Amino acid sequence: MTAPRTPHWRLAAFSTTLLVFLAGCATTGYESVSPTPMPDLPPIVDPPARSGAPTLLIAMPNSPNFVEVRKSLVSEVRKNFNIYTLAVGPESTPADLAAAIEVVNPVCVVLMNNATMKLYRQYQTAHPTAPMPPAVLLMASFVEEVQARLRRATGIAYEVPGVTAFVHLRSVTSAPINRVGVIYRPPFRKFVEHQKSLAAKEHVELIGVSVPNDVTAAGLRGALHDLANGSKVDAIWMLNDNGLVRDAKFVDDAWRTELSDARLPLIVGVSNLVEPSSPLGTLAVVPDHEALGLQAANLIFDLADNDWKVENHPVELPLSVKTVVDVNLVRASFGLRPDALSHIDKALE
Amino acid sequence: MTLRRNRHPPRPIAWLLLGLGLLHPSHPARSAMAQGAKPAVHVFLQLDAKSSVVEKTLQQHLPQLGIVVFGRFRDFEEGLTTGRPDAVLSIRAVLEQRGKAPSLQGNRGGQSAEPYVLASVNQPLEGSLAGKTIGVVDLLGRDGTQTFLNGLLKATDVKIKRVAKIEDLLPLLEFSAADGIVLPRSMLSRLLERTRLVIKTKELPGGPVGLPAVAVLNPAVRDVIVRCFQELDAPSKRLLGIDSWSVQ
Repeated sequence: MTAPRTPHWRLAAFSTTLLVFLAGCATTGYESVSPTPMPDLPPIVDPPARSGAPTLLIAMPNSPNFVEVRKSLVSEVRKNFNIYTLAVGPESTPADLAAAIEVVNPVCVVLMNNATMKLYRQYQTAHPTAPMPPAVLLMASFVEEVQARLRRATGIAYEVPGVTAFVHLRSVTSAPINRVGVIYRPPFRKFVEHQKSLAAKEHVELIGVSVPNDVTAAGLRGALHDLANGSKVDAIWMLNDNGLVRDAKFVDDAWRTELSDARLPLIVGVSNLVEPSSPLGTLAVVPDHEALGLQAANLIFDLADNDWKVENHPVELPLSVKTVVDVNLVRASFGLRPDALSHIDKALE
Repeated sequence: MTLRRNRHPPRPIAWLLLGLGLLHPSHPARSAMAQGAKPAVHVFLQLDAKSSVVEKTLQQHLPQLGIVVFGRFRDFEEGLTTGRPDAVLSIRAVLEQRGKAPSLQGNRGGQSAEPYVLASVNQPLEGSLAGKTIGVVDLLGRDGTQTFLNGLLKATDVKIKRVAKIEDLLPLLEFSAADGIVLPRSMLSRLLERTRLVIKTKELPGGPVGLPAVAVLNPAVRDVIVRCFQELDAPSKRLLGIDSWSVQ
C-alpha cells in the first residue's frame, strides 16, 4: 500500500497538502477563514427585481463554490424573492455591508464564509439597538459557534457529519465498519463529541483520540498507531484540520507511514487526498454545493413561513455529499461491494 | 442589482482549487444540436444509481438517441427550456405536470404504477400527520412536490423537506430532521441496506404512482424513439426500474 517515493510522487504529495491547506481556508479548516477569490470570474448578475417582492441579500465571495451554492439557491427562491448579491472580498468593510442592508432593506440576509460573518458581526456590534434582519449562515467553519455570537441567525453547518461518511464507506466496501477512529485537536473536541452520538445511530462507535494543538508528526503517528492496534478500529476518519495536515513531510511522516502499516480505510474530507498514484485516502466525502443551495432555499422558506423567527431554528446539518473513491485501493485491500460503482460520484482507478 | 468589488487575486489559487476537484460545474444543458442528428431524450428519474451511471448505460444501449440524464429537478427544468429535447423519460407525474402524454409506459411485473411508502424510525407514523415534517425528493419543484406529497399522504398540513437526491433522504432520519420520508416502495430495500436505523413503513393511501414513461415531444421522430426504447436490453430496463414497455 506504500507508494514509491518518486519525484512525481513528491510533487503530487506537496500539491495535495497545499490543496488541503487552501481547502481548509476556503471551507472547513479551523484556522481563521478568509474569502478565496478566484481570477477572471464573471460578475454575479442578479435576476431582474420585481416590484413588491421581498428581497434577500446574499453576501458572499465571488468564488466558484460559493457561486455554485448561490446559483442553486437563487433558482429555488427567485419566484418568491428579489435577489441582491454583495460580492465580498478582503477589502470589504462592515460599512459596505451596512450600506447594502440600508439600500436593500432585506427580509433576510444570507452570509457565506466566516469572513463575511465577521463583517456582519461587526455591523451588529456597531448597531446594538437596531433591529436586525434574520441571517442564514452558509459555508463557514463551525456555524453553530458563529451563530452564538450573532443576533437572529441560523444556518447550515458545512462540516460533513462523520456518520454520513461512515454510511458511504459501508456502501463501498464489504469490510465491516463498526469502529472508526478519529484524531482531533482541542478546538474540535465539541465537534467530535457530537459526531459520536450521530455515529451511534448507525451503530458506529467513534473513538476519538485527543492530541495537543502543536502535535508533532511522531505524536500523531503514535495516536494513529494506538487507534489501529490498541483500539482495533475498522477505519480512520481524518478531520479537515490544517493542524493535522501541515505539509508534505508531515503527511508522509505521520499519516502515510502509519496507515501503510495499518492497512485501514482512511476517510478524508478533500478529494485530492484520494489519488491512486499515491494512495492515502480511500474515500473522500465532500459537500454537494448544488444540493446545499436547495437545502438553504428550504431553510429560507421555512423561516418565511414561520414569520422569520430564526431563534426557533437550530443550525441544520448538511444533507448531501459527493463521494470520491480509490477503487483500486478498496478492491485490493478492503473488498469492493458488487454495486458500489453505481453509487460513487467519482471512481478513481 | 449586484455590488461587486474589483479584485485581482492570484491565479495559483484557482489552479489549486480546480485541482481540489471542488469546482464541478453543474450539469450543462445540452441541445439536440449538440448531440448531432440524433433525437435528443432528456431523462429525469430518481433511481438506485448515480445519474452519470444511468446516462452512460443508456448512451451505450441507445446509440441512436442523444441521451442526457438530469439528477436534479432544476437542471431538468432548465434543460427543457434550453435543450428543446425530442422526448422526455420520467415518471408519469412529472410528464403530466408539464401536460405531456406518454407514448410509452414502463411496466414492472405487469403493473404500470408502484406504491409509495412513508418510512420512519422505530415506529410507523400513524394518525394525523398535521405539523409533521416529511422528506421527499424534489421531483416537481417546490409547489409541485408539495402538491404531489399532499396527494400521496391525503393530507394538506404537512411540512415538506425537499432533497436533491434519493440518498439524501436517509440523513433526514439520521439527524432527526424529519419525522418521516416518502419514497417508492422499490427503493426501500436500498435504504434498508444502507442504514442500521430501525425503519418502519406504511403504504401511502394516495398511490400508486406511475412508473417511468416516455413522452415524445417531436412527432417527427416518434417512431425511432419508440422503437429504440422498445429494443432496450433487459439490464438497462431493470436499471430504470421496469421490465417492459407498453405503447400508449
